[in-house]
Amino acid sequence: MPEINVTPLGAGQDVGRSCILVSIGGKNIMLDCGMHMGYNDDRRFPDFSYITQNGRLTDFLDCVIISHFHLDHCGALPYMSEMVGYDGPIYMTHPTKAICPILLEDFRKITVDKKGETNFFTSQMIKDCMKKVVPLNLHQTVQVDDELEIKAYYAGHVLGAAMVHIKVGSESVVYTVSRNKHAATAWIDKCRPDILISESTYATTIRDSKRCRERDFLKKVHESIERGGKVLIPVFALGRAQELCILLETFWERMNLKAPIYFSTGLTEKANHYYKLFITWTNQKIRKTFVQRNMFEFKHIKAFDRSYADNPGPMLIGKFKRQCSVIMPGYCVQGTIGHKILNGQRKLEMEGRATLDVKLQVEYMSFSAHADAKGIMQLIRMAEPRNMLLVHGEAVKMEFLKGKIEQEFNCYMPANGETATITTNPSVPVDISLSLLKREMALGGSLPDPKKPRTMHGTLIMKENSLKLVSSEQALKELGLNEHQLRFTCRVQLQDPHSDPDTLHRIYTHLKSVLKGYTIQHLPDGTVMVESIVIKVSSSAEDSNAKVLLLSWSYQDEDLGSFLSTLLKKGLPSGLC
Amino acid sequence: MDRECVSLLPRVCEVLAASGSSLPDDTSLEKLLDWFTEVTKAGTSLLESCPCLLEFISSVVRNTTLDPSILSFTLRLTGLVAVTEDAFTVLQQSSVLDLVFNLQHWQEAGLWEDPCIRIGWIQGLRTMMQHPKALGFFVQADFLKPLLQLQTDKSLFVASAANQMLAHVLLSCQSVSSVESNGVDEEGEDVGRSSGSIADLEYPAITVETNQDYAAVVTAISECLKKSLVPRKNSQLHQSLQILKLLALLLAQTRAPLWEKLLQMVADSVDELLAAGYSQLVLPLMDVILAAHSSCDANRRVTDQRVSRLLSFMLNIRKPADLIQAAAAFLRRGRHDLVHTAQSARVLLLPLDIITGLNLLTTTADEQQFSMVEQLKNKTSCISMICVCLTNTPQITLTAADCLPCPPVLIVTAVLSLLRLCSGDFSSSSSSSSSCRDVSRNIIGSSKVQKCALEALIALSGSPGVEVKLPEVVTLLVQYLDNPHSDPTVLHKSYQALVRWMSVCSDLSSITDQHRQDLLQVATKRSCDIRWEVRDSTVEFLGRLAGVSVVQTTAEEVSDASVALLGGCCFTTPLLRAALQDPESYVRASAISALAQTLAASWQQGAALTQEHTEIVNQLLEVLSRDTEGFARRAVVRYFIAWLSSRSSHSSPPPLASSSLLMPSVRSVLSRGSADLDWEVKVHTLELAELLLHEAFSGQRGYMKGNPTQTHPYAVIPDTLHTRTHNEEDVVGELNSLVQWGVVSVLLSGLVDCDRPVALRACRLLMTLREVVCPLSLGALDATAAMAMVAKVTCELPGCGWAREIRKMLATKAKDAERGCSVGEVVDCDDCGEAGQEAASVGGQTPCVSVCEVLRSLDLDERLDVLTRSSDHVHNSPFSLLQDILTASSAHSQPDTQQEVIVDCY
Repeated sequence: MPEINVTPLGAGQDVGRSCILVSIGGKNIMLDCGMHMGYNDDRRFPDFSYITQNGRLTDFLDCVIISHFHLDHCGALPYMSEMVGYDGPIYMTHPTKAICPILLEDFRKITVDKKGETNFFTSQMIKDCMKKVVPLNLHQTVQVDDELEIKAYYAGHVLGAAMVHIKVGSESVVYTVSRNKHAATAWIDKCRPDILISESTYATTIRDSKRCRERDFLKKVHESIERGGKVLIPVFALGRAQELCILLETFWERMNLKAPIYFSTGLTEKANHYYKLFITWTNQKIRKTFVQRNMFEFKHIKAFDRSYADNPGPMLIGKFKRQCSVIMPGYCVQGTIGHKILNGQRKLEMEGRATLDVKLQVEYMSFSAHADAKGIMQLIRMAEPRNMLLVHGEAVKMEFLKGKIEQEFNCYMPANGETATITTNPSVPVDISLSLLKREMALGGSLPDPKKPRTMHGTLIMKENSLKLVSSEQALKELGLNEHQLRFTCRVQLQDPHSDPDTLHRIYTHLKSVLKGYTIQHLPDGTVMVESIVIKVSSSAEDSNAKVLLLSWSYQDEDLGSFLSTLLKKGLPSGLC
Repeated sequence: MDRECVSLLPRVCEVLAASGSSLPDDTSLEKLLDWFTEVTKAGTSLLESCPCLLEFISSVVRNTTLDPSILSFTLRLTGLVAVTEDAFTVLQQSSVLDLVFNLQHWQEAGLWEDPCIRIGWIQGLRTMMQHPKALGFFVQADFLKPLLQLQTDKSLFVASAANQMLAHVLLSCQSVSSVESNGVDEEGEDVGRSSGSIADLEYPAITVETNQDYAAVVTAISECLKKSLVPRKNSQLHQSLQILKLLALLLAQTRAPLWEKLLQMVADSVDELLAAGYSQLVLPLMDVILAAHSSCDANRRVTDQRVSRLLSFMLNIRKPADLIQAAAAFLRRGRHDLVHTAQSARVLLLPLDIITGLNLLTTTADEQQFSMVEQLKNKTSCISMICVCLTNTPQITLTAADCLPCPPVLIVTAVLSLLRLCSGDFSSSSSSSSSCRDVSRNIIGSSKVQKCALEALIALSGSPGVEVKLPEVVTLLVQYLDNPHSDPTVLHKSYQALVRWMSVCSDLSSITDQHRQDLLQVATKRSCDIRWEVRDSTVEFLGRLAGVSVVQTTAEEVSDASVALLGGCCFTTPLLRAALQDPESYVRASAISALAQTLAASWQQGAALTQEHTEIVNQLLEVLSRDTEGFARRAVVRYFIAWLSSRSSHSSPPPLASSSLLMPSVRSVLSRGSADLDWEVKVHTLELAELLLHEAFSGQRGYMKGNPTQTHPYAVIPDTLHTRTHNEEDVVGELNSLVQWGVVSVLLSGLVDCDRPVALRACRLLMTLREVVCPLSLGALDATAAMAMVAKVTCELPGCGWAREIRKMLATKAKDAERGCSVGEVVDCDDCGEAGQEAASVGGQTPCVSVCEVLRSLDLDERLDVLTRSSDHVHNSPFSLLQDILTASSAHSQPDTQQEVIVDCY
């Protein structure tokens, strides 16, 4: 039976680097190629040596598909394509292709500039990698080769994030990233894939309404600046920065607030440019607003210059006093100051044994744009998959969702390095020639009815990847072949004290009496024929009583032929004349 | 081990042993283990320095309700602790060891199902198995059986770890046997007793009894290999695959007699597996045979013949796709015997022969040809087989000429013909039969085949006698570049191929004017392509072409390929200048680099400046100050580096005109570059400053190019460095001009830059400068006396930005010095001697300081120490890690005071 294999090299029962290998219909596809934020050595990248030992990824993989621009989904891409060596196609949406290099450059800056690593991908490598990327449009089917096709759908989460439908023949897989509130407007065909691979970061929670969290966030910001404090929001996830910008901008407008909002130049500024550019790729609400103004043209939010830090008065950044606060809108990995602050450390050790006291108020609010259980169930109802496979979530939380889903279908959650094998039962379409159908009907069959399957005889021809059922005559004609008859022969020894013609006649009479309703002929050429079976008699040279019967039949009369040989082996009844 | 860490460790152990759930950050345990490994590698015994670990291990291992990640960590930690024989004995005596690695214990707790426990068990054992006691423990506890089962674990990671582990066990047993058979190995004994080492060891003093045990292990492993090699049903293919992987690993590492024994044990099974003809197993089987083949020499002849027979079998498989895989694997391995090499080459050339109809192989077995044609008729397998053949073409041409069935030039013809077929051009195809035409149709428009063929063409350029094909290659590549259906990656490869052929075939006499005209047209067209990738590749091509020197027949004159093919600057420069306005920053950056490559020749020849050149320089300076993207600005600085260094390498003095433009431009590049926001622009600017420094002081006493700290204090300094006698006037003059060009300011501003590589580089350069102008070795007073004039050279320190930082540093130093003995001197522009910096700034003038004084007062050595460390070394230290684990757990245990931290990554 054909099967689909899914092996996560990363993101299997964890939220590290996403890298999922799918083998479907003889094609190997890599879904995402992310890095792990928590490591500074080779462990941050997926270990590709598990895929091919000789390192020739291009020979093995048919394509790589990147779901969105976050580094845990694309951070290992230049490493894979330029350092390990992969020369095949890489697919991602237009906005992802535009923003991906910005994040990769930033990642490079942190690694090479801040941490001083030397053996790392260069800017040239990032560029060379991006040149291999084939951009995808939404809802457009892309033919990777003759058999493999992919189609991207809007997924919410961040700008350019996509769900992908991967199809080979009649087998298919849908891969979807984390979907957030915008995903309500996301839509996918009822494509009934064999597997739906979904992220499940917030699998356990039907999350408190996003609106509550947003209100809470704005309240905290407002309180702090009302007190004359300043608020620092270190946003490390692109997309979330834009989301918070829109939130603050709208709030400022509504409340008529005057305190300045700054965002640090560089990364966010560049990304904002692309958010403006690709506004058609954002959700409906933002697109609607676009008629009046581009939501990413901020009025209250300005680029920050280092010299502003000492300006007096409240603002969303600056020199901090006790009434100020820092809001962490996401998780920070171990080994960073963010991690320490997040866990409530009040003293920070700095370079040269100096320590700093954390005097400001620290708030943590998860604004991560991932799907919760509700979102995933919604997607399942839309796509109607046959099996479900969960990745990018913690094992315990995944189990919860798995339990929920398993009431309806099989749900898999392979750990990293484990392969989930799903057996598929693909229906193979076969064309039937009209003449064959007509002949069948002439033989008394009814019209073809999909509800009443029945057996049909014919010759199956495979031509240019399609199957056709035709009559054997037509097959011979189409293939330019001659017909050959295959006959089985068998010898039966018999003691019969008569002449050869008499023995033959006795056989004729015997068969006539045994086989009622069959055509039995005694032919003048000294043979007896029962349907297509020919019987001849000869006697041995030494003993004229020892007769040898020669039986021969075509394969259609196999049963009758065997029956006759068994019958004649028993000898002829004595009463025959 | 750090004392602070040791003091925190008991509490951390407590926290880990008590926490019911996993740590919020799953990397913490990995990093903790990294630290323990580092400590062990440094020769410290973990158990001695942290006795709490024993208690930790024994309490955790009994508490199976803990999170599997903590249990897995404990398994691995136990192995690490027991890496020394002494610690192993302690663990064994406290009966911890038996429980930790007791399989039943984990199975009964229902934890064995978790792959992280299995991998912890394997890795723990693997780390521990460095001494005979551990091997004895392994054998006595009969761990071999589960280990053999784990070879085919459903987790790739577990199976692979088990593979490695089993190889390790076998190799350890091999060492034991060899020690036994060779008598006591003195060296091995020494190593075996140095208990701190975790390198693989040879074991001494083996008793006959234990040796029998080891022999039993070897036999059991070989039996198992033999038994599990051949799959009983299709679903067991995975198992065979794993066993083959293991076998390849073993055959490559073991020595005789074990090698021979292994091979004899499995040979029949391998035969059986070969006969069964599983396509999925071709490559792993080939790996095994090649592993055996490559270690044949060291072993016996009989087995050699057997391996050779297996190899011949593989290279005669019936299934064409498998055959090609096997041949390719053989050639890739590099170690060849003539017969098999010739055979593999023929196999790999057969599809090319069939598709192109060129007679690459004079004779082929009809049967082989027939089955290959049949296979090639299927589009998917045709493309994949052709790609494998093309990818391995370079290996074919690397083989000895007598192994090649046809000369390389014919292979080039075939690749060219294939490329034509790919673009649907059947006119030159010499294949006559209709089935061959069917096959050829399969590759039309396949960019995968095109890319592979272009790669092959690039690799073939170096083969002997292929130069005659140059005109044909150029014609075809130009056609590819012109083809509207060509994929951007195919265009990129076509450009690469063109450059490569140009650089290899230095004689361009066969290139016609038509070629040149076509290439000009196509390059112009592609430089305006709608896709930035194509524009970038085109611009990169124009630059690279300029870097290739070729000979044109007319006058034997050496020029660059850009001149020979495209007419040089007059064509390329306008195109590249237009590309400076490209909306895509990558293209702008490539255009700038290409301009530098194009103009390099005129710089080297010292050609006179043109109006165009002046315009380009102005345009580039504009880019440096205006462009929003770092790539373009980085390229501008690199442009000036190239220009300046070409001038330095030029033997005759540079023409005045060129210098008159270069030096003022360099000056503004220095000032703009050092104030840039991009760290790489700043690093490049420092490189430019370094060139000037080198130009000024090369040969001067004390001047060392590059990194001063990398030189060993006792290293012999080459004589060339002392050739120029020390001349204070020279130094003063050069230092003055460096100050005037702004080099000193660039270095000082770099030193206080917040980007680490910038500060590091500036610091090193300042140290170099210090060694030349006021070496510390002379001592302050001597130096002042000896170099009184140099000490008078001053530079400005304005009151803002970087200069303020430098002034702060100087003031701090001065204060420190006041408390001490000597006082750092700060002078102002009017040479006011004793006047302090404060006074100068109060006076409203831009203060000047003596360069020497600054260099001496900045504590550069101390600063270099700090800068060479990673910026996150404080927060990434083991101490910080331990602290984080403690804080996270206390935050976790008091959920009321702290909100739950969800690890959500993005």
